[in-house]
Amino acid sequence: MTLSRLVFRSMRKNVKHYYLYFFALIFSVTLCFSFTTLQYNPTVEAALKESGTATAGFSAGSYTLYFIITFFVLYANHLFMKRRSKEFGLYQLVGMTKGLVIRLIALENIILFVLAVGIGMGIGYFSSRLFAMVLLKMLEIDLVVKLSFSQEAFNQSVLIFGILLVVILIQMVWMIRKVSLLSLFTASNKTDERVKRFSVFHMMMGLVGIILIIFGYYQSTLLFNVEKNKIFNDLYVHMMVILGSTILGTFLVFRYSVALIMNALRSSRNGHLKVTDVLAVTPILHRMKSNAKSLTLITLLTGLAVGIMSLSYIAYYSSDKHARQETPYDYILLNDLGLGFLDALEREGIGYEKHSFRMGMVELNIKDLLDESLKDSTVFNFNEGSPTNVISISEFRQVESNVMLKEGEAFITGYDSMLEEVLSLNAERDIFVHSGDTEIPLYITEIRDENIFPHRVLLGTPVLVVTDQLFENVLNTENEEREFFSQVGINLVDKDDLAIAEVLYQQYESERGVVFEGFEDYPYVQPSYEETRKGSLATLGLTIFVTAFLGLAFLLTTGSILYFKQMAEAEDEKEFYTTLRKIGFSTSHIMKGIYAKQLFNFGVPLIIGLLHSYFAVKSGWFLFGTELVAPLVITMCLYVIMYGVFAVLSIQYYKQVVRSSL
Amino acid sequence: MSVLIGRKIRKIYGKKSTAQEVLKGIDLEVNKGEFVGIMGPSGSGKTTLLNVLCSIDHPTEGIVEINGQNLRGMKEKALANFRREQLGFIFQDYNLLDTLTVKENILLPLAISKLPKVVAESHLKELVGLLGISDILNKYPNEISGGQKQRTSAARALITKPALVFADEPTGALDSKSATALLTNLESINQQKEVTIMMVTHDPVAASFCSRVLFLKDGAIYTELYRGEKTRQQLFQQILSTQSVLGGDGYDA
Repeated sequence: MTLSRLVFRSMRKNVKHYYLYFFALIFSVTLCFSFTTLQYNPTVEAALKESGTATAGFSAGSYTLYFIITFFVLYANHLFMKRRSKEFGLYQLVGMTKGLVIRLIALENIILFVLAVGIGMGIGYFSSRLFAMVLLKMLEIDLVVKLSFSQEAFNQSVLIFGILLVVILIQMVWMIRKVSLLSLFTASNKTDERVKRFSVFHMMMGLVGIILIIFGYYQSTLLFNVEKNKIFNDLYVHMMVILGSTILGTFLVFRYSVALIMNALRSSRNGHLKVTDVLAVTPILHRMKSNAKSLTLITLLTGLAVGIMSLSYIAYYSSDKHARQETPYDYILLNDLGLGFLDALEREGIGYEKHSFRMGMVELNIKDLLDESLKDSTVFNFNEGSPTNVISISEFRQVESNVMLKEGEAFITGYDSMLEEVLSLNAERDIFVHSGDTEIPLYITEIRDENIFPHRVLLGTPVLVVTDQLFENVLNTENEEREFFSQVGINLVDKDDLAIAEVLYQQYESERGVVFEGFEDYPYVQPSYEETRKGSLATLGLTIFVTAFLGLAFLLTTGSILYFKQMAEAEDEKEFYTTLRKIGFSTSHIMKGIYAKQLFNFGVPLIIGLLHSYFAVKSGWFLFGTELVAPLVITMCLYVIMYGVFAVLSIQYYKQVVRSSL
Repeated sequence: MSVLIGRKIRKIYGKKSTAQEVLKGIDLEVNKGEFVGIMGPSGSGKTTLLNVLCSIDHPTEGIVEINGQNLRGMKEKALANFRREQLGFIFQDYNLLDTLTVKENILLPLAISKLPKVVAESHLKELVGLLGISDILNKYPNEISGGQKQRTSAARALITKPALVFADEPTGALDSKSATALLTNLESINQQKEVTIMMVTHDPVAASFCSRVLFLKDGAIYTELYRGEKTRQQLFQQILSTQSVLGGDGYDA
């Protein structure tokens, strides 16, 4: 028999073990190639030309993707090589040299790899159009995407996968060379160990693991909490501490805590095990040493992926609200400029609602409204008051008619939601504000959240609403030059008029520009709400698309690794099932145990991973958007469903193994 | 009283063109309290017969009845239950679960039964006392010797108080000393507790512990020997002479 015939024979025999690895390879190639093709798609390139960060985003994305895929392929290859160690041992036993075995396996690997890359690129070429359409839809760009072959993308992918193939071959050579004939035969059960006499040290480590995770979670809630965060003033150090304690904790939990709990359960049975103990608890305990590292890695990757995906989804989800905060009205006319826009709207018969405001300015020190504990914080400098816009209560009633103020009272509104998370304000306080040289005592009745002025006007400060009389006094006494003194906010009655109104608003652009002293050539032109929203979509959309893509890659790699591991475990335990079935366990009894085992194998990394991501997202989500629950829950649900699919697949595999075991 | 009845058992492997008849119409009956040995050269169908009798394999034709229950037509689940409640198994390669301690391995068949713990515990005590493995209960299979493993396996087979114990070459992987110890144990359990045992073996020494030895040749029963009032040594000599009549094929020891 020639070498090539032997290769084809063994591949045909191994196809059952291989097909998953093969599909995983095809899938990674598809993902990679469609991503790179997408990057060089002329339609997408044209659409993203405006966004300066597009290329950077794409290349960051593709490098991460390459990294994930390299890691995944190496891991899967390692797993499959280990499973075939007996076969290699047999080849050597019948007298083949290591060199010949290496050539044999190398040939097999090359054929498999080239086939997978070919098929993957084929699928990737077509799916790139789909991804391009999804991307443009996210960016709300109406363009027909053409299928285009990019030589550049092709070359890049071939190069990357060529390198990957070389790496795999090196790994293979290294694995075969490293092991002796004897250890080849025992490789598949070498790493297994059992927790025998349970030492105090293990118990301590188990507890330490849980404590470290809880500590990490607790610290993460303090990350942006200036009040309680006394220990770690440096944000960077604090983040590292959280990350370190959670990662170490996760490992210890898998390595010791799980064993601790299961061993306690097992000892409580005193030898009288239930089916689930036999098929779930003891095999898991048996493998915990070798599985701890991979489970930790999978958990962390899950946490990372869900975290990143949630954050970018939060940003995308809140982009409307965020735009509303930046530009509270559909159209805004500042300093009485471009009022002709209103006439133009009327000429076109477009219905609108308008709120007019006059703004005054006082010096308000935010410090007066903060909690006592925050005042001493060294992070912020509160020594000076900052210019704060003032409006009258009667004008505020255009927004909300049911508010009253008594003499000497005032309230705050329009405070930035992100700042609110870090530096929340308190009402029902007596404060002093300064108008020119006069000091005005005020009682702050409440903190409201109506947004009136665009971001450029507020620059992070809140709006102070005062009585009409006081407002007039402020306007009269004030002598300092103000940037903005009036605003007309316009909302369309019927959103169908948006397209025409946008055009009209554009026409008045030159008239609307607010000119500041010293910057005569660069007047400030207030964008419309729609423009703000589109602008943030353009910058966010790509980030979200890339992170979603990476999240998908993470999910599929972690899921497949879990699945591969379970496949290998099922094969290893086949003899178990044979014995059990011989002595009278039915398939359904055995499957009951396996459900429990899979619940652990998939459920625990998933739950811990989700918890990690929950706390990670919760600690800083407000930097990304205004809505936490919905995007987080949706991302998590998607992840749970996908994991469920992998769990079901692995259970099917187990079922097949158990059925065929007798 | 017959514990096991087999009638005209035939087993054919393969499809029509390549069909090979492994069992050619075997009739046998095993009474309660018997210790039956099945011997025969390699390829005579010993293990196939055992597998068919113990419900792990199905006969192509014929009837197998254990404790008056016909195995034909029983569903997988019912068969599994039947095996668990009525039968015990001892295998050549022990088939202990590496992940379980000796005690857990022995109690394994009770994992899905409703037997109260106290009762199970007293069964266990009695058995491990008889088999001499009471001081290794908390060890794992890879920490004990082959003989201990096989005694563990025997204890697991007996823990459910089965009607019939099947042993497939139980001494095959043991040295002669451990083998004799195990067989002595089985013999005394057979006599004291009236446990019916059916054992496949190719070892004449092992077979000489039986109360009756069946010889298979080419899928049919060739002859049978009864111990009766004979000593073990006498039976052993008889077995040896029967073997030489049967032909040397497969007996290279």
